[in-house]
Amino acid sequence: MGPLEVRGLTKRYGDVAALTDLTLEVRAGELFGFVGRNGAGKTTTMRIVLGVLAADAGEVTFAGTALTFEARRKIGYMPEERGLYPKMRVAEQLNYLGELHGMTGADARASATRWLERFGLQERRDDELQSLSLGNQQRIQLAAALVFAPELLVLDEPFAGLDPLAVDVMSAVLRERADAGIPVIFSSHELELVERVCDRVGIIDRGKMVASGTVDELRAGGRERRRVDVPGAVDDWDVGVPGVRLLESDGSRRLFELDPGVDDQALLQAALATGPVRAFERVEPSLGEIFRTVLEEAAA
Amino acid sequence: MNARSWSLGDMRRLPTIVLVARREVRMRLRSRVFVGGTIVMAVLVVVGIVAASLLAGRTTPVRVGFSGGSQALERSFTATAAALGANVTLSDIADVTAGKAQVTAGTLDVLVTGSGTAPTAVAKAAIPSNVESALSLAAEATRLSDAGLSPAAVTSAMALVPVQLLQPPDPKNNENLIASLALGILLWIALGQYGNMVAQGVVEEKATRIMEILLATIRPSRLLAGKVIGIGLVGLLQLTIVGAAALVAVHVTNVASIPALGVASILADIAWFLLGFLFYATAYAAVASLVSRQEEVQGAVAPISIFQIAGYLLMYAALPNPSGPLATVSSLLPPFAPILMAVRMADTDVPFWQVGLAVALIVASIVGLTWLAGRMYSNAALDLGTRVRFMDAFRG
Repeated sequence: MGPLEVRGLTKRYGDVAALTDLTLEVRAGELFGFVGRNGAGKTTTMRIVLGVLAADAGEVTFAGTALTFEARRKIGYMPEERGLYPKMRVAEQLNYLGELHGMTGADARASATRWLERFGLQERRDDELQSLSLGNQQRIQLAAALVFAPELLVLDEPFAGLDPLAVDVMSAVLRERADAGIPVIFSSHELELVERVCDRVGIIDRGKMVASGTVDELRAGGRERRRVDVPGAVDDWDVGVPGVRLLESDGSRRLFELDPGVDDQALLQAALATGPVRAFERVEPSLGEIFRTVLEEAAA
Repeated sequence: MNARSWSLGDMRRLPTIVLVARREVRMRLRSRVFVGGTIVMAVLVVVGIVAASLLAGRTTPVRVGFSGGSQALERSFTATAAALGANVTLSDIADVTAGKAQVTAGTLDVLVTGSGTAPTAVAKAAIPSNVESALSLAAEATRLSDAGLSPAAVTSAMALVPVQLLQPPDPKNNENLIASLALGILLWIALGQYGNMVAQGVVEEKATRIMEILLATIRPSRLLAGKVIGIGLVGLLQLTIVGAAALVAVHVTNVASIPALGVASILADIAWFLLGFLFYATAYAAVASLVSRQEEVQGAVAPISIFQIAGYLLMYAALPNPSGPLATVSSLLPPFAPILMAVRMADTDVPFWQVGLAVALIVASIVGLTWLAGRMYSNAALDLGTRVRFMDAFRG
């Protein structure tokens, strides 16, 4: 199954360019995190993939062929705006969505029961959805995207509003689906979580894909950092070391960023010259830091 | 309702239209509003019919009591009353004073006293004229018989004048027209009610935001058609229940003769109701897709309600001359055909080509509206929270 390929997507709302030549790829068996500020174009991209919105230009293919209406029915989708029928019973609702996606009644019921058991909501199966807590309604929303055994998962902010336990269940289920060989793409603002669970990440800014790859690949594209701890140092010991920029200072500990190609030994020698060096370590930037750097560079 | 009773499609994939329609039927049959509403409607209709029969009172036979010598009139009175179409029951009254007391108390309508040749009728306030005539004729027959005429001579002397009609009334008699008209108006009102139900259902899907999930898996025109069909079936079921209750009440109270509502006329009314429902429900669904909140539905559907009211008014304007140009032209137009053509068909013989043309036009409009509504539906569905302008929704 897969991959999902989005190529050259462009969408304008009047004078506003929502997407400009956006390209991304989600491989089979891969968890792809889609990050960006509010209004960057994540939801627009996902809606175009699902066919609920038409692009002005570009194409979306799945397993090498253009996504037709029939092929889109195999996509499990969780829209940004959550919504199910509030007065419909939980199991009945899942059965209905299963059948709408082309399952037989018997298959839909079996699958609905399986997911309800998985989420521990089996005893609520005959309750109206609106009588469930918000957290449980979110679980049902995820079950609604999974009930028909989708071949591709597209989830818009699936972790928003989840309690910590639900976050664990959600990330475990997404991992499991990806391991079963289907491409999974989701958007999120929780960068730590994305860094922890995703295989690859795409950063979108103002409708353009500004970086994508594994978190390590994104790091490799960024600048190296060193944390140095020199307790007895004079205040301006690092001034004049070429290609080095002070990022933050915490007591005797300082964090530096090196320009590309700069040798860190000059920094070490400067530190040794001012006092005994207790620590000199390489620091990997978090996804959040990469994100900020990438956006700054994109803006520049 | 247990799952087994709905095992349709257990082992098969059902078309999405069927799935959507089935959901509408299930959800609405389960809702208290529907069950309660149906019961209330049926009760109101039955109460109305019973009240009408009590007020009209024409089914209650006139109770006539004969005392003393007047009892000799009973046989010929029964015959003349039947000939004049008076519905009477007879009784013998032994005591005149007691009989008058019964008339005063209202347990007897007419007391006949005196002899067979010179009877006197005693009534409380008035006496039905046909009862009075029947009594006079019976007394006259007795007098002729007493004067020595043979029974055959009396019969020929008393024969009613035969009436010859040069222009007999249309076989679609007046009672038939009124009954069909009443049914037509009821169905016209029902059409607005179920159309509104469709509009509410569309907005519910927008307001609860499930629309986006639905549109990612089902074509908008199918979603719309399934919804309209499902609600139409529910409406038909509700009307059938209320209609059956009404028929039983009519039969029991005998307020009108049921054959007056000709079967063909009922079927034609129902067929026009269904066409009208498909037409208006689709239009309701289309405009409802332009708004996002239940409170806005009434305002959005108002332009369509105007067509329905116009159709109702046109009906009164056109009825005096059901074959005139106003009636003919407006009964061909899809927004008005469901009521005007139905009423014209009950009233007069409408040329076959006109009925055919009206049906063809409304069917074509339903197909066109479904396409248009589907387009508006998908374009307006995602613009949540705002009212969408018609042309924007249309262009996409």
